[in-house]
Amino acid sequence: MGASRKTVQIVILIGVLLIGGYAIGKTLFADDQGPPGVGDRPPDFSLLGMDGEVHNLSDYEGKALVINFWGTFCPPCVEEMPEFQRQYEKWRGEDFDILAINLSEADLPVANFVRQMDLDYPLLRDVNRRTERNYGLRSYPTTFFVKKDGTIMEVFVGGMTEEQINERVERLLET
Amino acid sequence: MFQNTKCECGHQNHVGTVLCEYCGKPLGEESLSEEPLEMRYDGVARRSQKANPSWIDRIWNFFSSVKIAVYLIVITLLGSTLGTIYPQESTFLSGDPTTYYEVNYGLPGKIYYALGLSRTYESWWFITLLVMIGTSLVICSLDRVLPLYRALNKQSIRKHLTFLKRQRVVFTRDIPGDPEEFVEKLGEQLKRKGYRVNRDGTALLAEKGRFSRWGPYINHIGLILFLLAVLARSIPGWYMDSYVTLPEGEAVEIKDTNYYIKNEKFTVQYYTDDELPDELKGTLRAKLYETKAVLYECTAYCGDLTREPELKEVHRHDIIVNDPLSYKGLHAYQFDFDETPKLKAVKPVLVDKQTGESYGPFELSMTNPEISYQVGPYTLELRDQFMEFAIGENGKPTTLSREPNAPAFFFLIKGPGLPKEGESYLYFPREIDKVRFSQDQINRDIADRFEIKVGSMENVVLSGATTFLNIRVDTAIPYVWVGAAISMIGLILGFYWQHRRIWLRIDDGKLTLGAHTNKNWFGMRGDVASALRKLDIVVEPKSLDNGGNKT
Repeated sequence: MGASRKTVQIVILIGVLLIGGYAIGKTLFADDQGPPGVGDRPPDFSLLGMDGEVHNLSDYEGKALVINFWGTFCPPCVEEMPEFQRQYEKWRGEDFDILAINLSEADLPVANFVRQMDLDYPLLRDVNRRTERNYGLRSYPTTFFVKKDGTIMEVFVGGMTEEQINERVERLLET
Repeated sequence: MFQNTKCECGHQNHVGTVLCEYCGKPLGEESLSEEPLEMRYDGVARRSQKANPSWIDRIWNFFSSVKIAVYLIVITLLGSTLGTIYPQESTFLSGDPTTYYEVNYGLPGKIYYALGLSRTYESWWFITLLVMIGTSLVICSLDRVLPLYRALNKQSIRKHLTFLKRQRVVFTRDIPGDPEEFVEKLGEQLKRKGYRVNRDGTALLAEKGRFSRWGPYINHIGLILFLLAVLARSIPGWYMDSYVTLPEGEAVEIKDTNYYIKNEKFTVQYYTDDELPDELKGTLRAKLYETKAVLYECTAYCGDLTREPELKEVHRHDIIVNDPLSYKGLHAYQFDFDETPKLKAVKPVLVDKQTGESYGPFELSMTNPEISYQVGPYTLELRDQFMEFAIGENGKPTTLSREPNAPAFFFLIKGPGLPKEGESYLYFPREIDKVRFSQDQINRDIADRFEIKVGSMENVVLSGATTFLNIRVDTAIPYVWVGAAISMIGLILGFYWQHRRIWLRIDDGKLTLGAHTNKNWFGMRGDVASALRKLDIVVEPKSLDNGGNKT
């Protein structure tokens, strides 16, 4: 009976370790439920681009990324887009990309806007604000700088100048 | 450390035994006293009490201690009160928790958030405490119930005289006549009172209500199940508590599921003045909130953005307060509504002002318009669309938001008598915007020839009320209920029945009787006195009291 007692003890303690460990572990690693911040991985998305292709975030794995949310109705968003275009041209050929996600606007204004702007970095269309919500956006524009290892280096809220973008992209490419 | 655990009756007891497992003679310190015996767990050793504990035993012993269990429960109670100081993050529908606490409560709020107390009940330390309480429940119970079961299952009938004399209910007297006959008669009487009687010559053990001893352990099984069920909520897909906004007529995806839900119509009814008491007359009192909801399951192209998802209707229900739509464990509760009508579409006509003739109507959606409309001989090409029209700093038209608050449509009109490249025409569907932005001035000459206008209210499509639903999944709930029910059964067993035992032996014509119960000593003494009275031994129940009692 001494041996069976030991077995019971071990079985119960292992059970506690498994169930308790799972429950406690879940609380420790559940923090990414909130909006993504520095050090987190940006939430995945799969969006239709203005080029007619589906763009998945995972397609850009291993690249330094700038994920920018914009709308035609937001003047600072519109102002910073040519700045991003210049940066896009500057870093062409590097492991770098810019993804500009439109804030779930109607087709026509977006199409008209893009025609006027002459931008050639990927412009994606969010649907029903789903991606925007996953990213926990509160104001526009918001730009996420993602390192090559897939973690967020910085979340910038507000319009940006080329200088500000350039300085961050340089840091991104160093990682 | 060597400890002699052998009783004088020859029985070898476990380390930590207080009363000999066989004859009941007090051992160790207990034998030095004259006070009534400590009868907890019938004096048997807890499983964990052993010499030379290993490290596994040490962990085991830690959780086996009731004192530790009490500390754990007290710490958990105090910890959970921390979560009630300010609202928990999980109760927010909107708002940013990173700033909420500081803005509303100042420095204490900032500290509260920094310490993670805004998520007290999901914190690692709180869950750790719960897991420890659960472990303690299992181990404490197991350590006590198994030895107790064994002790009660093989009780010896003839107990040591000291054991009998040191019970809280004791009776001694010289008995004339045949001792065996006396014991048999008394046994008969006790049987009538519902006791199970065991005899061993001139010794007797009568017992009833033993099952009530299992009550606390059954209660614990229920609590463990309850706790496991609550922890099971963290299994993916087992628990969800979210909110969806449903404009009328649009199937909206329920996040993290394969379902879509549509609000076919939302209605709110108010009480009429006739139905209201005088003091409430003239106020709006809601009588009914109802969402006619349809639940769809996505069968194909669910995540595909290039195609519309294929939806299959699976359930339909008129949701009212406390009567949710329920389908396979998913519940949708009425939560809120917004009755403000929104302009959804207009059906305007193109009027030739010179001839008075009108062409159309055509349907113009505010959010998803067609690119081109054919009305009579004229073609209207939609060139641009502004949701909230404004003139920007550069003098060009722009939009202030993506909500159709002040929609404007920029058309090219082509047709007979018009230039080949068309004439541009800016159209404001809302009369108020038309005036505010002086539509006719913007359109200049063409405004004298044509007008796009909505004839009557019939040609205005307003969206119905938006409803907000609370979507809940809680797969663990049935287990929580089962756990609670088992726990209740255990509590009832333990509270409403008592385990009563009477031992007696006759040595050389002298009767010694001892009795024990786990509660209700008044009843215990009554049972003994009334059985004795039937054998013409009249004793006052109170006189059986051997002290040490609370009741």
